[in-house]
Amino acid sequence: MRLSIIWTIFRKELVETLRDRRTLLMMVGLPVLLYPMMIIGVSWFQQSQEEKRAERASTIAVWGEDAGLLVDSLRGAAKLTPKRWAGVSKEIRDTLQDPATRPMPALPAAQSLAGRQRGSNIERENPVLGAARAAVADQGIDAVLILWPGLAQSVDGDGVGAVSVYYDSVRPDSTLARDRVVDALGRYRAALVQRRERAHGLAPGFALGLDILQRNVASDRRRGGELLGMLLPFVLIVMSLLGGLYPAIDLTAGEKERGTMQTLMCAPVGPQEIILGKFLAVWTIALITALANVVSLAATIARLVPGTNFSLPLWSYVMTFAMLVPVTFIISALFLAVAAFARDFKDGQNFLTPLYMVLAMPAVATMLPGVQLTTTTAFLPVLNIALLIKSVMLSEAAPDLVFLTLLSSVTYAGLALLLAARVFQQEQVLLGGQQSLVRLLGLERRPGRRPGPAVAVVSFAIVLVVVFYGSLLLQRSGVVAMLLVTEYGFFLLPTLALVFWLGFPARDTLSLRVPPLRAILGSALIGLSAWTVAAGILIRLLPPPDSLVRALEHLLLLDSRSAPLWAVWLVIGVTPALCEELFFRGLVLSGLRRLGIVPALLVSALLFGLAHSSIYRMLPTAFLGLLFGYAVWRSGSVACSIIAHALNNALTATMVYAPAHFQWLGMAKGQFLPWNATAIGCAIAIAGLLLIASAPQYEYEHPRRGEEP
Amino acid sequence: MLRADHLWKRFGDIDAVCDLSFEVSPGEVVGVLGPNGAGKTTTLRMLAGILTPTRGRVSIAGVDLGQNPLAAKRRIGFLSGDTQLYQRLTTREMLVYFGRLYAMDEARLARRVGELVEQLGMADFASRPCGTLSSGQKQRANIARAFLHEPDVLILDEPTAALDVVTGQFIVESIRGERAAGRSILFSTHIMGEAEYLCDRIVLLHRGRAIDIGTLPDLLARSGCANLTDTFLRHVGREETRPSAVRRPLSGVSAGDDDSSRGMTR
Repeated sequence: MRLSIIWTIFRKELVETLRDRRTLLMMVGLPVLLYPMMIIGVSWFQQSQEEKRAERASTIAVWGEDAGLLVDSLRGAAKLTPKRWAGVSKEIRDTLQDPATRPMPALPAAQSLAGRQRGSNIERENPVLGAARAAVADQGIDAVLILWPGLAQSVDGDGVGAVSVYYDSVRPDSTLARDRVVDALGRYRAALVQRRERAHGLAPGFALGLDILQRNVASDRRRGGELLGMLLPFVLIVMSLLGGLYPAIDLTAGEKERGTMQTLMCAPVGPQEIILGKFLAVWTIALITALANVVSLAATIARLVPGTNFSLPLWSYVMTFAMLVPVTFIISALFLAVAAFARDFKDGQNFLTPLYMVLAMPAVATMLPGVQLTTTTAFLPVLNIALLIKSVMLSEAAPDLVFLTLLSSVTYAGLALLLAARVFQQEQVLLGGQQSLVRLLGLERRPGRRPGPAVAVVSFAIVLVVVFYGSLLLQRSGVVAMLLVTEYGFFLLPTLALVFWLGFPARDTLSLRVPPLRAILGSALIGLSAWTVAAGILIRLLPPPDSLVRALEHLLLLDSRSAPLWAVWLVIGVTPALCEELFFRGLVLSGLRRLGIVPALLVSALLFGLAHSSIYRMLPTAFLGLLFGYAVWRSGSVACSIIAHALNNALTATMVYAPAHFQWLGMAKGQFLPWNATAIGCAIAIAGLLLIASAPQYEYEHPRRGEEP
Repeated sequence: MLRADHLWKRFGDIDAVCDLSFEVSPGEVVGVLGPNGAGKTTTLRMLAGILTPTRGRVSIAGVDLGQNPLAAKRRIGFLSGDTQLYQRLTTREMLVYFGRLYAMDEARLARRVGELVEQLGMADFASRPCGTLSSGQKQRANIARAFLHEPDVLILDEPTAALDVVTGQFIVESIRGERAAGRSILFSTHIMGEAEYLCDRIVLLHRGRAIDIGTLPDLLARSGCANLTDTFLRHVGREETRPSAVRRPLSGVSAGDDDSSRGMTR
């Protein structure tokens, strides 16, 4: 690869793209206009709404018999207009006037009044709630205050009177009305308590006991940052995506449409030089867009927002721009790779719009409360950067998470660029061939050929999607039916269908061979002992929560203790072993083998771990996958891993089924396996591995040259 | 010198080119003739290094195109209807860009650009964006791009297609000039007169196979025909030229459609 050629291509692509007014408008024009309009517009609108709302008096419907001065005290409160029995039906009025009616819902007597206000205030359906909802929904009434029967007696007789405030949390007017009513009621209650203290000769504050003050420690900057942190990662990422979108299509599909791709291909330049030159141009344009966005944003916040008293330090912007560097890298590479398949500009837009949506989706998640940068989210592409920008806005980015985020982003970026480079090596893609995507993914039917890594990964994606949606459909059909249908219908059936549909030789692809005896014995030992490594070592690294353990036990017992043990063995032991092994150690491992055996084993184990869709089960299942994969590779037979997998599952299920028989292991409920038992288990597993290693290595045929991916 | 050795190209289940072998010597013009779909463009693309042959070898001035594609491509000038120009670059910028891709040194590049602008009569439009040029001007700029690095081999895919007579003739004369300069020239065309006038030898291609290769007199003698058109038709088969074969009913086209399409372009 020659840098001078890459530079020449990069410079020409950049010059040509910058001469296009549409790109310039997307790059600089849009951000310059967008932020002032968005931020100033939204804040003006919000401010004027808030001012209007604050001016307006809240209308409160008061239902129930009054207790002395309560309604009068509400009437005296500023901006509160109580209306007696407004919007009430006759039945509800009768109910609330009936002395026998009790407050709804019946609350435990011990619960404090504060608890009723602040705690979970979602009430179960009842006629009063329904009537209050209807009254608030007609917008004429902002909230409903219910004075339950017996209130007057309770208040006068030193008891506790019950009142309920019904409001609509989605309507700002209603929430404001609730605050005003609760404030007014609070003042009424304070006066009542004071009166009672005096009447009983108690010291002021006797009944209060504790004065709780709440203070917000968030600085203005953080409060401003919170708002920006919610909105801006999304906006910045979406805008940067937009910046890369047009040039990516223009430099690939656009070139094909204009007929210049072939002009370039007949010049003495390699596909890698072309893709790198084009990639650098798209990336630069996306970066300029990102920079224009950040600068415009900074200027808007610094100068234009009316009435704000927060500002972000310069380094927040510098960091935010720095975060956009890896994001723009990933999207530029992905856009180029996908757009290269398109035959013309319109085709390119059709291809990239869904990709654009998929990439923008994770950025939306930053707007959800509670979604934060953690060790898990740091590995999710695009989302991790969006969350990192959010935490930079809140000035709370932890260095280790920054590192993880950047590390994973650089990895994804590298993978995306490799994909793009691979696409550019396909001459048919560059010349506008039609079935190129199917070919690139290795999904062409050609009898007799063997699967490659692309087939393995695509099959995994297909099976994962089928399992995900399939199990959603089966949720209500009971554990046994769900397990059987998932395993046979969603693992085994797609595996066999893919093998036959794509014309792979079944015996070679699924490793359907008789294994040597030593490999069988070794696999059995692994099946009986590998769980100890998981239970004794791996789950110490990331202990699963109790809820997951209980759910798994529930599953292992087939939803009841009444199922016979043989049925448990069959459904939990044999079925998944057969179906999952034919897929993971059959189709997937065969496909990956061309990467070299170590990467193949690691990737297939990783996919096996991922398929169990729980971060806590990831490590133990990936570990088992690694052992099973080794057994299959060494012996050339999937029977080995079926035996190991079946024994492992059956043994685990039996331990849950009849825990009394396994007390000698010394594992108390909810604890890790003791170290001595772990050590014995490890020794047996190693013996199993050695036994497999001592069996003769199965000789694989080398893939023929020029075989498709 | 260009040499094609048992070239095959397979797309899916279709053999686009089968077992094609010929060579073009320095100072020789070889024409590739064939009906649409005969495999002319695929052959030329393989020879230019844009498509990889499924089997067979191409050598350009002694350099194997498969083994050493960059060195071989540096010796080729390729022009086809599918090699268009960058619309937002000027002719001069485009020539400088390609000169750099061909690793020409800056002094030689500047000299060649000056020469070609004069030689091909491009002084009036060399500083205008290629997107604003007429089709004749575009083809001159394209020829300048193909000739720029003074390649040993010129591969020209229908270089005069869709051009007016004056520009077409200008290009034909340019090709003759390059032949005189000792280049090996391979070109494909539909125009029999052009082939008769220019070509030292002719490759007749049909359904991916060379059905005859030789000088014009050889081809005429072997076919027993009086001219190239008859020779061509004789080889290709008269049945393909019969109206019944092409006069299929045009489904979905009606007077209404015609009206609406006129409405669109009005």
